[in-house]
Amino acid sequence: MSDKQGVLGVFTYLDETLNAVKKLRDAGFKNLRVFSPFPNHEIEEVMDEPESIVRFFTLGGAMLGAACGVGFTVLMSSDWPISVSAKPIVSLPPFMVIIFELTILMGALATLLGLLINSRLRRNVPTTMYDTRFSEDKFGVMITCEKENVKDAEEILTSQGAEDIKFDGV
Amino acid sequence: MSKDKKGGLKRRDFLKIIGVASGTAAVASSCSPPVEQIIPYVIPPEGIIPGVPNYYASTCRECPAGCGIIVKNREGRAIKIEGNPESPINSGSSCAMGQAALQGLYNPDRVRSPLSNINAEKLQPLGWAEAEKALTEKIEELRGSGKTGNIVFLSNNITGSLGNLVDQWMGALGGKHIQYETYAHEPLKEANKISFGIEKIPTYHIEKTDYLLSFGADFVETWLSPVEYTKQFSQMHGVKDKSVGRFVHVEPRASLTASNADEWISVKPGTEAILALGIANEIVKSGNSPNGGGGLRGLLSQYPTDKVSEMTDVPQEVISQIAKEFSSRKPSLAIGGGVSVTGTNATETLVAINILNYVAGNIGETVDFGDTLSISTADSFQDITSLVSSMENGDIDILFVYDVNPVFTLPKQLNFKEALGKVPFVVSFSSFMDETTELANLILPNNTTIESWGDYSPRESVHALIQPVMSPVFNTKSTGDVILSVSGQVQELNGKFTQTTFYDYLQDSWKQIWAGASGAGDFDTFWKQSLEKGGYYKDLPSKTVSVSPAVASLKFSEAEFTGEGEFYFIAYPSYKYYDGKGANKPWLQELPEAITTGVWSSWVEVHPDTAKKLGVEFGDFLSLESPQGVIETQVYVYQGIRPDTLSVMIGQGHTSYGRYAKDRGVNPIDMLPLATDAKSGGFAWLSTKVSAAKINKSEQFVQTQYTTTQHDRDIAQAISLTELEKGVHHEEHHEPDFYPPREYDRYRWGMAIDLQKCVGCGSCVTACYAENNIAFVGKEMVAKRRDMAWIRIERYFEESNNNAGFQTRFLPMMCQQCGNAPCEPVCPVFATYHNPEGLNGMVYNRCVGTRYCANNCTYKVRKFNWFTYKWPEPLDWQLNPDVTVRSKGVMEKCTFCVQRINHAKDLAKDEGRDVSDGEFKVACEQACPAEAIVFGNLEDKESEVSKQSHDDRGYNVLAAINTQPGITYLKKVTQDKA
Amino acid sequence: MSEQNTLTYARVNDDIIRMLDKPTFKWWALFLPTLLFVGFGLFCFIYQVYTGLGVAGYRHPVFWGVYITDFVFWVGIAHSGTLISAILFLFRANFRMSIYRIAEGMTVFAVLTAGLFPIIHLGRPWNFYWLFPYPNQRELWVNFKSPLLWDVFAVSTYLTVSSVFFFIGLIPDIAAVRDRVKEVPRKILYSVLSLGWKGSNWEWLHYTRAYLFFAAFATPLVLSVHSVVSWDFAMSNLPGWHTTIFAPYFVAGAIFSGLGMVITLTVPIRKIFHLEDYITLDNYDGMAKLIMLTSGIVGYAYGIEFFMAWYSGSPAEWGQFYYRAVGEYALFYWIMVVCNVVIPLPLWFKSVRRNIKALFIISIFINIGMWFERFNIIVISLSRGFDPAAWGIYTPSWVEIGITVGSFAWFFMFFLIFLKTLPAVSIAEMKEILPVPKKEAKTS
Repeated sequence: MSDKQGVLGVFTYLDETLNAVKKLRDAGFKNLRVFSPFPNHEIEEVMDEPESIVRFFTLGGAMLGAACGVGFTVLMSSDWPISVSAKPIVSLPPFMVIIFELTILMGALATLLGLLINSRLRRNVPTTMYDTRFSEDKFGVMITCEKENVKDAEEILTSQGAEDIKFDGV
Repeated sequence: MSKDKKGGLKRRDFLKIIGVASGTAAVASSCSPPVEQIIPYVIPPEGIIPGVPNYYASTCRECPAGCGIIVKNREGRAIKIEGNPESPINSGSSCAMGQAALQGLYNPDRVRSPLSNINAEKLQPLGWAEAEKALTEKIEELRGSGKTGNIVFLSNNITGSLGNLVDQWMGALGGKHIQYETYAHEPLKEANKISFGIEKIPTYHIEKTDYLLSFGADFVETWLSPVEYTKQFSQMHGVKDKSVGRFVHVEPRASLTASNADEWISVKPGTEAILALGIANEIVKSGNSPNGGGGLRGLLSQYPTDKVSEMTDVPQEVISQIAKEFSSRKPSLAIGGGVSVTGTNATETLVAINILNYVAGNIGETVDFGDTLSISTADSFQDITSLVSSMENGDIDILFVYDVNPVFTLPKQLNFKEALGKVPFVVSFSSFMDETTELANLILPNNTTIESWGDYSPRESVHALIQPVMSPVFNTKSTGDVILSVSGQVQELNGKFTQTTFYDYLQDSWKQIWAGASGAGDFDTFWKQSLEKGGYYKDLPSKTVSVSPAVASLKFSEAEFTGEGEFYFIAYPSYKYYDGKGANKPWLQELPEAITTGVWSSWVEVHPDTAKKLGVEFGDFLSLESPQGVIETQVYVYQGIRPDTLSVMIGQGHTSYGRYAKDRGVNPIDMLPLATDAKSGGFAWLSTKVSAAKINKSEQFVQTQYTTTQHDRDIAQAISLTELEKGVHHEEHHEPDFYPPREYDRYRWGMAIDLQKCVGCGSCVTACYAENNIAFVGKEMVAKRRDMAWIRIERYFEESNNNAGFQTRFLPMMCQQCGNAPCEPVCPVFATYHNPEGLNGMVYNRCVGTRYCANNCTYKVRKFNWFTYKWPEPLDWQLNPDVTVRSKGVMEKCTFCVQRINHAKDLAKDEGRDVSDGEFKVACEQACPAEAIVFGNLEDKESEVSKQSHDDRGYNVLAAINTQPGITYLKKVTQDKA
Repeated sequence: MSEQNTLTYARVNDDIIRMLDKPTFKWWALFLPTLLFVGFGLFCFIYQVYTGLGVAGYRHPVFWGVYITDFVFWVGIAHSGTLISAILFLFRANFRMSIYRIAEGMTVFAVLTAGLFPIIHLGRPWNFYWLFPYPNQRELWVNFKSPLLWDVFAVSTYLTVSSVFFFIGLIPDIAAVRDRVKEVPRKILYSVLSLGWKGSNWEWLHYTRAYLFFAAFATPLVLSVHSVVSWDFAMSNLPGWHTTIFAPYFVAGAIFSGLGMVITLTVPIRKIFHLEDYITLDNYDGMAKLIMLTSGIVGYAYGIEFFMAWYSGSPAEWGQFYYRAVGEYALFYWIMVVCNVVIPLPLWFKSVRRNIKALFIISIFINIGMWFERFNIIVISLSRGFDPAAWGIYTPSWVEIGITVGSFAWFFMFFLIFLKTLPAVSIAEMKEILPVPKKEAKTS
């Protein structure tokens, strides 16, 4: 889509960054993206994204883990039924430990998976519209818009005190 | 081609030798030279089915008792020795020494071929032909020079055919045959001559007695016939409908035998005679003597209790107590003549004991002169001393030494070694390079008992046969055959012997026995039966004897002691090494000595007070000095010995005799003076006093149990006689269980062990080593508690209100085969599990060696293979093919001899039935002379083991842990002071 | 927090990324010896496998010794890492920010070390994989009833989860390093590791959630793992092992020893890399308070063990604990008590809690004390079981000592590499606790 263009504003101050975001949104700009060196609640509030779905990955993984735990212990014990110390072949109390550990293990791994998938962490280097200062001390606001709107966006960013503005033909 | 032929021949020869039991046809021609390589077969010879053992009856010659044995042969190798149930002597049981005979057979330090130093500095190997030629030449040379009577054949007490052969041979050569027994028990003979006019050693019937009074007769260890008398003792002392016999042992130290007594009376050394007479006097005085003391009242009245008590250090009440019981609890029996208490007055002591028996009316009841021991025919110590002197005077030109080691067993003061140097030509028939043999000029190694033909008559009623169970391991030759072939070569002896092999000679001499045997059928059947039964046994009528009045005028004295030291010195014979003979067998070295649990070394027993006085502690070294010598050995502090007495075990301290015996421990015989018993002239073992001094040396006392008390754990439990009579209820443990109890269908293998019967002799331990390929690990490893024994005899000294103040308890501890085994659930890989028959299975291949099972074992009976242990060739020939040899990194433990169980089950299956009770025995049960161990099926309510498991005395060790053991112990019975 | 005001985002990056500069001579001087000792440990192990376990000091009835002691010790060390990063995260305890990265690194490396010992101590280590339920044609499976198998699962789970947790925390920081470094190889390395992290609000959104869940999982995990380790003993019937307080007792002990190790590690690092502004006295104060707490719990356990043994009326139980206090091993027992209960007492004074030197010394003693605690529990209990006839004394051999030293070297080897390759303090989270830059704040 050659009629789209990206604009990136680099800020020093958080409040300016957030104002810029608000302004842009009032001006009717969609799909904004904010960059920051650390997680911040104000950003989250302003951006007001839907709740992360990583938690469902976690839940699913944990349940799968528990299931595996039960499966492993019960099936394997029954497959090679050896009597020890007058205990039943399938005796759940000792199996609970295994079940518990597998629940944790798979839950954790699923969470990792959820994180990678949802935050699209599958590249080797940051794609365009990134500034290395974001990992240090700068905030950034990125807008992707129609070519004709680029000017307005740029104005809003500068008006909000963006120190630096980058363009990029998407 | 020719090779094959050769191999074929050898296989056939082998067959001839071992096929004996199946008939005489093959035997008649079994004169071919012994072969060394036996297995593997290319084609198994007929009669040998690989995997199926053959059993051969033979006779044990480890000690003079002459127990019958059954030797198990697998693919041509003897792998296990068990007692022969047919034998009237040991009727099925065996001792540790007997079990270990296999390690004599397969000993890596055996003399592997004839050796001689005739034309060489050192002993050089040579062929049999040469060797016999050399001997022949010597004999002819000697006879050429016109000297006769300068040949002496020095052997142990060999009765039967070989004895006769040697006698004849020596007769023909004009030489002498001297039979030397280290423990010849001459005082016994002499005493019986004096008191009854019979110069013989009788047989005793301990099992018939209700009260046994022993004056130092260590019948559990070495006295006359240990296995037999231990068995009789356990019958007499075991529980019979709520009553038990009473056993009182009088000795200056609490020997293993004393440890099994209800009362140990610590008597002043050498005063046993006085005590015996004192007791007799009490009996007569109190009018309890059926014969009123006969003509002995006068004599006895010289021994009033107070005087006796003073002389013997035995309290008066104890004397009268014994007197009362001895005369009231009939039949009673007093025995004596233990080697360790044989002093200069030994004969008098034994006469006194005879008197005691007489006044109590026991003669003829429990003492049997109808059947006397053949050890009676051994030559006296006098003959030995005169032999030595004539050796010193150079009057001996050829000395044959057979199965004795006088350099080691005779006191140094006799200078046998030096005298031996004066003998120009010494021939040893020993199969081991012992102290005497290494000084020989010509060594003609004899076959061991297991490899050779022979017979032995331990007593008048028994003619026991010895037959080869396998062909010789090394290039050795039966001495009988050597004598015959040499005789064939010596000019004048030609035609002296018709037989060319000792086997023929043996059969011929058995023709006479056959003739004597009534209704034995033709000789071949008689011979075959005898071979199968292990010999020919006859019943002899008991002979009634009467005390000769001469004893009335006899003078009784205390024993005399030489030496300035303050301590009486006891050198006691060992039930592990006998007179040192056993010291080259690792099983015996590693068998914990019952009292100290010490292994692989020597020690001196010291009373705690004495130890304090000498400033020594457990593990320190003492230097003991007598006029004859000095020994330095480790201290074992033991309350079971008089403060004025020190004792050291005989058997260690070899300077040669193979890697396992050499330079290990000390030989107390070196300390003994050349003292003899005044009347019999027999050697007096207890005749010196020594001084003891601490030396600046101390090391770990290597033993297998470092505690002497139970720390309130109630492991080895006891019940008082009164309780037993009242009858207590067998506490069954029904604690609430998280899981339902385990069900068994046909079998639940279990065991019952009677602590009242167990004497702690350890023959079960050695039997277990032999059956289950248990590795011996050596002193250094045992010091690290890494012994591999599957059975340990736990030994505890318990507080008691008896005279000694303590009571010794023995408890054989092995895997309890728990129903709720703690070891099983903790194994991550199921290497140990519970099998449907109640066995606690151990899968070596699956084991990864986490060792959690051992940590969680309540009884700590699991042993771990820290290394891969090796058996030096050919000791590994003995390994049982039915049992896995374990390698490093796996756990092992008692399996209840699962290989035997499975064998019995296979048989039963083939015959479509269940295994019946007592059909087979596990190794420890089989060996136990006291019959303390019973194994069987607990599901079968009629089986002996089920019955015993529900006995009033039955209990499980550490039952509170609720492991549901498969082994039930029966409490020892303590007899309170009456 | 006065000193923190001087911190700026930029300086955080500078300071922390500077730690990753080319290794100095000092670093090599530390690193090479560790390699040497690791090598010696390896030699000892090979010698042991070749000759047999007998080269260790083991003997009947002490079938476990220094190896299992080391195992429990290292697992224990591992715990405070997760405690600091996960539990304190859930409690929003800010003093964790500066040290949790080091603690997590410590966790991962400690588990890596601990994991070796169950294999080293096996009689047949070449069969260690038999402990895993892998499909095989003979259909042999493992015994899920065995505490040792619980261990296998617990420890491997713990290793996996803590490593993942460690890595997740690192992603934004690696990105920061990526944006900083110039040399191509390092650039590539960090680019790959950072998974192309950009720090967009979208990434942060999921990142924070995921991190929260990880923390939520790691917390019960850390508690369960050391409970399971304690059950290796508590599930047996051995006097001195068979007790219900082991799980809490072990967990507390683990946290106790872990915090000790964190202090032992951070104090020199703080000094060498001048991180005084990051790892502050308040941080140490917080840890010291936790040490006081856990030390108290451990001390209570020591006491109650004796009481229960006496109260049980079982001669075996009481015999065991009486023996601990007065028997052949009494010295070790009292070393343990002094190091773990007496020496931490001064921490009740704020001045001591804020005195780095004092903390360092105390932490060293805690490490020693906790090693001996495990040794005592394992060896003394085993040497005196139920049956007096089977009692025995164990002394470690040079092989065991060699392998133990090797394990410390192994741990420090990883740790030194970590210091030079990954940001030892969390850059992103340090920034979280700095005041957010606002224009108003400056102008007004």
